[in-house]
Amino acid sequence: MSLPEPTFNSYLILSGILFAIGTAGVFLRRNLITILLSVEVMLNAVNLTFVAADRYYQTVDGQIIVFFVMTVAAAEAAVGLAIIIALFRHRESLNPDSFTSLKW
Amino acid sequence: MDTLFFWLLAAFAVMGSIGVIFQRNPMYSVVLLIVSFCALSGLYVLLGAPFVAAIQIIIYAGAIMVLFLFVVMLLNVGHEDALAGGMRAIGGAGPRRFGAVLSLVLLGELVWALSRLQGAPLAPRGGQAAASVGTIGLKLFRDYAFAFEATSVLILVAMVGAIVLARKERP
Amino acid sequence: MIARFFNTLAGWGVTAELVAHLLIIVVVFFILQGMAAVLVYMERKVAAFVQQRYGPYLVGPRGLMQPLADIVKLMFKEELRPKAADTVLFYVAPLLSATAAFAAFSVVPFGADTDFSWLVKYSGLSSVLSWFGVTFTGLAQPIHLAAADVDIGLLVIFAITSMGVYGIVLAGWSSNSKYSLLGGLRSSAQMISYELSYGLSFAAVIMLAGSLSLREIVDMQGGYWFHAIPKWFLFLQPVGFLIFLIAGVAETNRAPFDFPEAEQELVAGYHTEYSSLSFSLFFLAEYVNMVTVSAVATDLFLGGWHGPFPLPAGFEWIWFVVKVFALLFFYIWMRWTLPRYRYDQLMEFGWKYLLPVAVINLLVTAGVVVTMGW
Repeated sequence: MSLPEPTFNSYLILSGILFAIGTAGVFLRRNLITILLSVEVMLNAVNLTFVAADRYYQTVDGQIIVFFVMTVAAAEAAVGLAIIIALFRHRESLNPDSFTSLKW
Repeated sequence: MDTLFFWLLAAFAVMGSIGVIFQRNPMYSVVLLIVSFCALSGLYVLLGAPFVAAIQIIIYAGAIMVLFLFVVMLLNVGHEDALAGGMRAIGGAGPRRFGAVLSLVLLGELVWALSRLQGAPLAPRGGQAAASVGTIGLKLFRDYAFAFEATSVLILVAMVGAIVLARKERP
Repeated sequence: MIARFFNTLAGWGVTAELVAHLLIIVVVFFILQGMAAVLVYMERKVAAFVQQRYGPYLVGPRGLMQPLADIVKLMFKEELRPKAADTVLFYVAPLLSATAAFAAFSVVPFGADTDFSWLVKYSGLSSVLSWFGVTFTGLAQPIHLAAADVDIGLLVIFAITSMGVYGIVLAGWSSNSKYSLLGGLRSSAQMISYELSYGLSFAAVIMLAGSLSLREIVDMQGGYWFHAIPKWFLFLQPVGFLIFLIAGVAETNRAPFDFPEAEQELVAGYHTEYSSLSFSLFFLAEYVNMVTVSAVATDLFLGGWHGPFPLPAGFEWIWFVVKVFALLFFYIWMRWTLPRYRYDQLMEFGWKYLLPVAVINLLVTAGVVVTMGW
């Protein structure tokens, strides 16, 4: 059984698939936390692209950018979750459809 | 051997991500995402970036996901979501169906565009000296020093912001 | 015929190095489990000594078969699962804890590089093997004595220790009982708080050593200053060693930081609802974590396998074992001597006192390294 050897393309396609899955999650899910999780999936797909490109071009800049992306993702997850907690306290629900009116 | 690992880890990453968006219980979504992150960490090792693999586990799987897990547990919405019909909401009314179609279009577009490139073989993983932690550290603190300091300020701001936002209102 | 079997194996690429590596992995795995059993006995005997009573003395000579009796008892207990518990996560959680505990030890080196020529010299192995038609006089190149020796060993240990939190938090949540949930949340919050000081204390050691590989750090600690003081990092980083030990004790949820599993406060914390083999997995994970923290402290601060007088080649791991047991004795002694911290005192200590001290330690080390050109 011989599997095709992974090339630069295969990593890019894999990251494209992950990115599309993340996008689908943001559109389809009706739970704020799962939407945030899908955003994390998208960020990871982008990280994979950077590291794969790094290996192809034989440099380390991509890995440094990945380092920054992870840090920013951590900050964004923290603030996003704090917002979700604050929203949950007001409406007791995590469905984005309950936050459609502009007044509390 | 590398080939086998690549396909195995890629399968785990994709299945984990699909599980994230199709699971009803958000707790299971978080656990499946952790599985996906560990698979991605393995892929980074295959790409000759052990440092990034280690910090992926430390930061993403070890810190950010614990944060998600805490919030899911404290808000305790696992049971409610089942009642509200998480599965029913998938592919629901108009805008959502449109969004699903858009995601499929994006998937098709990306796969088509990326497979039109020539299959570029990756250089062998012998260039370990280039990707060692020392090289990354030197570049980080010399060429990207400003971004590094700015990121530290960003984390401080995010920390303060998260504490303020999640605080209970004083009566 | 047996020679032909070995020839086909060699044709598949099974070399002596591969066999040696596999043997080391198997030996490490089984010794870790044996260490858990030894620790059970040691804990009870030391506790008894501290409390001025006899420990177990009925089962076997001087009570040495007590761990076996404990394990058999645990295996025969009824395997309960609360009805409202989440089945998948309830059983995955102890597996995750135990796996993380074993995986963290896999990158810890426990002896000098060896080519197993001592094995040939001191045992009749070569004569036994020559009866099978295989000649073995030691490996061509010395191999590292660690289950998996990687260049970024310290980062891997830190990463896998971070993953160990999940076993606890998932156990607490999936048991669906308020004691478990509270215990799980508190325990995991404690672990991630003390992880910061843990990491900062060995960042200072990395600065001194200039390498992330544990083996190179131990290699730097051979030799003596003034022919009297061994070149351990303990003497260069006393504060760092203390911080590492305290954070390590908090990481493994042992006294005096074991509020989340204290009997008087929370029944038994996150493992309240577990019984029989799942409970024994948590038990095992806790003891193996203790061994890992002691082993890493030995490698980083106490000179690993270097000792006062050199042992014959191939037996350096004996010094390593002696030092690890000394640290484990200290662990157990601390448990039965100190009262436990209340939860808010514990968190306050971790964030307000230990973390600033760890940061200052790092800064001072950095200053010294830069100015004195280490």
